[in-house]
Order: sequence, then structure tokens, then C-alpha cells
Amino acid sequence: MSTKNNRILASGGSRYPFKVSDEYFDNLTARIMEQIDSVEQEVPEKVETVSAHSAKLFSIHKNRRRNLWISTISVAASLVLIATVALKFIPMPSSTPVEQQKAVTTVQYSPDNYNEDLMNYTMVDNVDVYYYLSSEEDFGE
Amino acid sequence: MAKIDEQDILRRIQDPQSRRKVFEEIVNVYSRQLYWKIHYVVQNHDDTDDVLQNTFIKAWRGLENFKGDSAIFTWLYRIAYNESITFIKQKKQMSSIDDEDFVEQASFVADEYFDGDNTQELLMQAVSTLPAKQRQVFCMKYFEDKKYEEISDLVGTSVGALKASYHIAVEKITAFIRSKE
Repeated sequence: MSTKNNRILASGGSRYPFKVSDEYFDNLTARIMEQIDSVEQEVPEKVETVSAHSAKLFSIHKNRRRNLWISTISVAASLVLIATVALKFIPMPSSTPVEQQKAVTTVQYSPDNYNEDLMNYTMVDNVDVYYYLSSEEDFGE
Repeated sequence: MAKIDEQDILRRIQDPQSRRKVFEEIVNVYSRQLYWKIHYVVQNHDDTDDVLQNTFIKAWRGLENFKGDSAIFTWLYRIAYNESITFIKQKKQMSSIDDEDFVEQASFVADEYFDGDNTQELLMQAVSTLPAKQRQVFCMKYFEDKKYEEISDLVGTSVGALKASYHIAVEKITAFIRSKE
């Protein structure tokens, strides 16, 4: 640093030209500790609020998870039911050519058969029902 | 400044029962020193008071995790410096000036805490034009007559860089004062 610069700076003196009363520093520690205590009191309240919020969120998530499980199980049960019904009415493909030929014939024949039965069932009236029931009673006897 | 046994403080910090009492001792011992360090940056009593309180609140929250890797005052100083810079940034944002190092040339005569003459006011105006870190280094060297090694430990900058920073600060300040003569 040059002497000229030193001289310019020295004219301002090397004392920091600000003052604060001793009273300020005397009370400072108490004030800061008070501030810290109030901050500490705020924190548990916040934590409590956050906990309540988390509990609510957890409950929502729990319900959602339960609903998801129910939906999944319902879909799975429906698929199993559909598969069972389908397996009952749709014949399985055969492995040998002869069986395959039979299956083709069955498949070709089967829908008509099924439709015929279905038509019969749908056309059943009260008299027919009475007839079937009474004949069953007769059979029982 | 009262002496503090750092090892004893560290040991007592770990105990939740004595933590508050220890912190009170820390505040009592270091608040005055920290006040002036913050004042070098923000240059206003009310702002310094706000930053000082925020500094101690941050320190309290981090006290549990303080492992004594640095001296207690160095740890506090770094929190205080960061808080001061954050404060200046927020103040600049409010006055829509982007440069965080920009400091308006304050009129210190109107400040009831200013205790100097016209020459000292001119010097402080010149100091206020320096970037925050340079201002810190200049004030610690010029007003406190600290050794570069001490400043280096505190601010975490090499002695060489501090010497260069101080030299540049002096050049800027003298240029400012000359321009006003």
C-alpha cells in the first residue's frame, strides 16, 4: 500500500465510527434467549399440525389402498368366473389331427346345439315349469 | 471478552439438560463481537440487530450437530456472514436491484448510532461501496488491526487472497475519497 493511500486513510482514523449503548448489550442475551424460547414453542405446534396432516394423509392413502385391493380382487374374481364359464362352453383344442378334426366338427356343431338349448330354455313358460316340477315329484316318488 | 472453554462447551452441548444454559453462555460471550462483524456488512443498527438474532436462532437449531470441527466463534461468524449476505440480497430484491454487492451510499450523519466527523463519514461511504466480503476484510484489517492469519481462519480464504483483497479495497477507497475532494 502506498504512503499516499496510507495518509488518506489515516485522515479518517482507525476507529470504527459507530457506537451502541452498553444497555443494548446488557439486554441482548436475555432478548435472544426469549426469542429462542418462543421459536422452540412454535416448533412442537408445527410438528403437531404436521402429524395431524400426516395422519389424515395416511388415512386417505390407507382407504385408497384398501379400495385398490378390493378392485383388484373383484377383477380377479370376475376373470376367474368368466374363464370358468368359458372353459365350460368352449371346447379345448385337441392335440392329434383326428381329435382336431372331431373338435372342428364339435365346434361347428356346438354353437347350434347351444343355441337350440338356449332357445328351448327361454321359451319355457309356466306350464312347462309346472310339468318339469311335477314330473320331478313323480320321479321322487 | 470472557474466555470460554471450548472442550467443556462441546461436552455440555451433547447433554440436552445443559444445552440451553451453554447456549446462553455462548450468546453472552460472543454477541458483542458478532454484532460488529455483522455491522461491517449491513452498516445499520436495526438491521444488525435483526441479523444477529437470526444468527443465534440458526445457531441454536444447529447446536446439536456442532461437533467442534472449527472454533465456536468461527462457526458463529460463518452463520452470521451468510445471514448478512442473505439479508442484503433480500433488501436488494425489495428495492429491485440485482447486484448483491451493491450498497447505496448511505448518509451516516442521519444515523443516531454514527459517532464520527465528516472525514469518517466519507471513509464509511467509501467502505459502503465495496463488495460485502471485501468490506469485511477491510474492516477487520483496518479497524480491528487483525492479522491476515486470523482473518484467514475466520473467513476461510487464503492469506494471499486476503492481502490482494485488502490492497484492492484500499485502492477503491482512496479513489473514492479523492473523487469527493
